[in-house]
Amino acid sequence: MSSAEPPQSAKSSSSGGSDAAKAQAWSEQTRARPPWLPFAVVASLTVAWQVAVVSMRQQALVPYPVGVAQAAVRTIEDHSLVTATANSLARVVIGFGIGALLGIPLGVAMGFVRPVGRALGPIVDSLRSIAPIAWIPMALLWLGIRGNAALFIVAYAAFFPFVINAAQGARLIDRNLVNAARALGAGRALVVRAVVLPSALPAILTGARISMAFAWGSIIAAELAMGIKVTSGTSGAVGLGQLMVSTLYVRRDVNALVLYMIVIGVISLCIDLAMRRLQRSLTPWRQA
Amino acid sequence: MNDGTPAAAVPRVDVPVAITVARLRRLFEVPVALAVVVALWQVASVAVGNKTLVPPPSLVLGAWVQLVHGDLRDDVLASLAHLALGYALGAGTGLALATLSARFAVLESIVDPLVELLRPISAIAWIPLAILMFGVSAKVPVFLIFYAALFPIFVNTLAGVKQVDPQLIRAARALGASSRLILTHVVMPSALPFILAGARLSLGVAWMAMVAAELTGSDAGLGWRLFWYQEFFAMDKVMAVILTIGVLGYFLDTLLRGLQARITRWNPDASRDDSQ
Repeated sequence: MSSAEPPQSAKSSSSGGSDAAKAQAWSEQTRARPPWLPFAVVASLTVAWQVAVVSMRQQALVPYPVGVAQAAVRTIEDHSLVTATANSLARVVIGFGIGALLGIPLGVAMGFVRPVGRALGPIVDSLRSIAPIAWIPMALLWLGIRGNAALFIVAYAAFFPFVINAAQGARLIDRNLVNAARALGAGRALVVRAVVLPSALPAILTGARISMAFAWGSIIAAELAMGIKVTSGTSGAVGLGQLMVSTLYVRRDVNALVLYMIVIGVISLCIDLAMRRLQRSLTPWRQA
Repeated sequence: MNDGTPAAAVPRVDVPVAITVARLRRLFEVPVALAVVVALWQVASVAVGNKTLVPPPSLVLGAWVQLVHGDLRDDVLASLAHLALGYALGAGTGLALATLSARFAVLESIVDPLVELLRPISAIAWIPLAILMFGVSAKVPVFLIFYAALFPIFVNTLAGVKQVDPQLIRAARALGASSRLILTHVVMPSALPFILAGARLSLGVAWMAMVAAELTGSDAGLGWRLFWYQEFFAMDKVMAVILTIGVLGYFLDTLLRGLQARITRWNPDASRDDSQ
């Protein structure tokens, strides 16, 4: 519908009445953009940024592109960036695994067994409304400052998308399939394994994608909070968040901060792409 | 999610007593589950035997009552003020930018790459830079909420405005409607389900960004109060604040969901959100 060409007559005939042309523009401006245009926009903005900062001559606390590039070289050379990123990613993967392990069974149970879903729904919803990062004081108390507290936050964040989506997937199951399996003599366990889980798989994978994105956002928040509050030297494996805090308060290196932000963005893009690819390859019958 | 309406579709033998029993049972399902959770919490607290490590529910309730008469009101008000200001700025900017982008292709070709560039960088990643820019103050959460709220509503509004049926616009134009009238009476109503879905997504991420920003870079609000009580090891109060964050977040989401269902009652798709 949107790819329909705008009727040229409307444009050419209304030389005086620009109103008509404007009205046309609301829905029908899907003219093909040249593929290089986004890059050109970004590149020119980067150049403008550099020029603006240089002409301001006040480089102390203003980040600028060349400085960011220098920070990249510096942090790659002393391995601090790679190590911190690896530490953060490791926590995300473990937390994600815990979230999946606990969330999928609960979600399937909630979706498949109606009373369980009705009873636990509001509780899950209200626990979900607690921002994962709000647990950080308790997590620090329970699990200490050696990175496990951050792990708790990530697992908590990853848990709920799994529950919600697995429940959704299990709820929308074709009951005929279940009844057919039962009629053929399948027990409850077999029904769940052979019918419910495969049917819910697309929804679970959607949950996994959201979980992963959410976990990645939460790990940074958790590490930032830990980095700010835990000032003693023994803070375990330093993640990207702690690195940002020390960059902010100790080194006051704005360019490195911007670099870390870019790294965070690139990683979340990669995570999203990887999860989408996984989704496509595991459930090829769904064109999502 | 949805209120147990699917059950209505199942043909049921009309035995009033049975229905009443079923209804009664349904009425008790949530309280029973809640009681079980509280009981488990109590058991955990007793098993651990340390009121700081796992404050028992009764203690947390007491702390909460005490807080309601004390600091909590100020914290809630501070948080809501951050949220209102940041969300109004972010959602307003997102809405305006998306509408203008859908309208002017030139603007879209500039804004769209920028949005795609910035969107993967979560609001939380901005916290250190925001602290540097604004200092530890209310501006940090407001900025973060602004940034977090901006993108979901932008993306959804853009999609919503673009899917408006061109026939409708042509019809309105043929009937002599001005550009502004088309915007307010054709485009916006048609895009409304998308906009509201975006608004709800925005509120969700804004809420998370608010707590994170207050924890790290603010001097007021619920998030800030968490660490304040932690300094005194008043974990019962910390738990009370955590639960307050949950209840308020739930309440806000329910409010927006109700609004969404009410305003876009004609659109069954409106309640569908597969991106949480």
